[in-house]
Amino acid sequence: MKYELVSGLETHVELSTKTKIFCSCRTDFGGEPNTHCCPICIGLPGTLPKLNKEVVRYAIMAGLATNCEINLISKMDRKNYVYPDLPKAYQISQYDLPLCKNGYIQLDSGKKIRIARIHIEEDAGKLVHKGGDVYVDYNRGGVPLIEIVTQPDIRSSEEAREYVEKLQLIMRYIGVSDCKMQEGSMRCDVNISVRPEGSEEFGTRTEIKNMNSLTFMTKAMEYEKNRQIELIENGGKVEQETLRYIESSGTTESMRGKEDAHDYRYFREPDLVTIHTLSEEVENIRKSLPELPTARIKKYIEKFGISEKDAESIVKYKNISDFFEKAIQGIENPKIVSNFIIGQIFSTLNNEQEKESFDIKVSAESLNELCKLVESKKINVGLAKSTLLKMLETGKNVSNFISQEDMQSISEEKLLEICKKAVDSNPNAVKDYLSGKEKALKVLIGFVMKETKGKVDALNTQKNILDTIKNI
Amino acid sequence: MVTKEDIIKLAKLGKLYLTEEELDSAVKDMTNIIGFANEISKVDTGDTEFDNINGLENALREDIVEESFDEDLILKNVDGGKDGFFYIKKYQN
Repeated sequence: MKYELVSGLETHVELSTKTKIFCSCRTDFGGEPNTHCCPICIGLPGTLPKLNKEVVRYAIMAGLATNCEINLISKMDRKNYVYPDLPKAYQISQYDLPLCKNGYIQLDSGKKIRIARIHIEEDAGKLVHKGGDVYVDYNRGGVPLIEIVTQPDIRSSEEAREYVEKLQLIMRYIGVSDCKMQEGSMRCDVNISVRPEGSEEFGTRTEIKNMNSLTFMTKAMEYEKNRQIELIENGGKVEQETLRYIESSGTTESMRGKEDAHDYRYFREPDLVTIHTLSEEVENIRKSLPELPTARIKKYIEKFGISEKDAESIVKYKNISDFFEKAIQGIENPKIVSNFIIGQIFSTLNNEQEKESFDIKVSAESLNELCKLVESKKINVGLAKSTLLKMLETGKNVSNFISQEDMQSISEEKLLEICKKAVDSNPNAVKDYLSGKEKALKVLIGFVMKETKGKVDALNTQKNILDTIKNI
Repeated sequence: MVTKEDIIKLAKLGKLYLTEEELDSAVKDMTNIIGFANEISKVDTGDTEFDNINGLENALREDIVEESFDEDLILKNVDGGKDGFFYIKKYQN
C-alpha cells in the first residue's frame, strides 16, 4: 500500500525586541550566565510582569505578513508545568485568544500551508546537563517568542522545508527576528502521521521536538514517516508520543508517551490585563510593513527583466536584496547590477553563511557608481568586472582604479583608426581569420582593448574590425 | 469533591512526592481550600459581566533596556549558585 505523510509544524521564533517580554532586561544572545536577569524573569514571588508594547506590534506584523486575521481583543494565559527551565512553574502564553489566526504561506507550487494561529509567549531558560547535575541560565528566560502553528497541510519533508524557509525569510524581511536556527532563535516542533494514500482520516501522530536545523528536520521527518509505515505494515500501531531526534544515529527516540502527556491547566493570567488593539492601529502596522520577498521577486522579474533564478538568488538573502535595492538607484537597467552581484560578488562568497551575513568590502553606493559608468558607456563591462574584483579585494572606490583619462570615451573615428592599426599590425591573425579560423578575431579585438584600456564595446569593435578587413 | 486520585495527579504534575499519610491530609486540606474559594460562587451577580482583571486593558511597557541585577544578587537565594549558574544536584534515590 502507498502511504501519505501528514504533517503540521509549530515554529518558535524569538523576537528581536531590545527587552524581554515582561521586564526590561536585555534580550541579547549569549552573555555570562544569569547576567540578563531581574526578579521578574527569575520568577521571584511578589513580582509583576508588564507586557512589552513592541512584542504585540511585532506579533501583529508577523500575522499580517502571513495573511492572518488579528484578534483585536486578546489576553495572556498561564500554562502550568514544573521544570527547572521555568522558574515560576508556569509559562505566560496565550491559549484561546491568540493575537493572530487563520493565515497562510503560499509555496512555489501555489499550494497554501494554512496557519491556524500565532501567539506570543515567553521563552524558557537554558539547561546545561553535566554529569547528571543541571546548571540553569535564565538569560533566555522571558525572551519574547511567537509560536506559529500550521494546520496539518504539509505532505512531504520538502514542503516542510520550503514552508520554514519562506517563513524565515518573511520574518527577516519584516525585521521581527533574525531567525537563526543554529542560535536557537528559530526552532520547529514537527507533528507527523501517515495514512493510506487517498484516505481522508488522520492517523495517530507523533511529535518531534525542537528541530534546530532544516537538514535534520527533513531527515527526521523521513525517518519518522518510514518508521510509522513499517510499524503499520507489520501489524503494529503508532503510539501517540513526543519524540527527540538523535542527530548522530539519524533516529528518533521517545521523550514521553500519551499517559505522560502534559496537563497544562491553562487559566487566564491574572497579573496581565486585556490586550485591546484598535483596527486603525492594525491598519497602520499593515501600511508600515516593508516589501515582502514574494513582491520583490515579482518586481525583479516583471519590472527589471531579471531571470527568475537570479531574482530568487538575490531575494533569498535580505542583506543582498537590500544592497541591490540601494545599488540600483538612478540606474536604468538594474540587470547590470544584478549581473555584477551574481557574477563577481557571489564569486567571492564561499557559502550560505557568507551570503547571509554579506560582509563585503564594496558599498552599494560604490557599486552604483561603477554601474553608472557602464550605463553611460564610459567604461565597458569587461573593465567594470575586473575593477569590481579589485574593489572587492581592497575595499577601495572606483576612482582608485579608473582614472579620468580611462573614462574619456573613445570616438567612433578614433575606434576605427585603432581597428585599422590592429589589422595592419597583425597580418597573421587576419590571414588566419580569412582562412576560416574565427578565433583569430579575438587577437585583433584583444589588441584594440589593450590600446584603449578596455574602454570600448567589444561588439562594436568586432564590427569595426570586420569592416576594416572587408575593405582591405 | 476532591478524591485521592485528584491529589495523586496534582502531586505528579507538581513533581511532589507524598507519603500515604500526606496524601490523606492533602485530600482534607484541598477539600477545605476549594470549599472556601467556592463561597464566592454563591454571590448573585445578575447580568453583570466581570473578569479577574476588572475590565482593565493595555497596560503596556515601552521597549527600553534597564540594567539587569548583579549576578550575585540574582544567585543570592540559591547560596551563590555554581559557576554563575543556578545549580541542581543530581537526584539520588
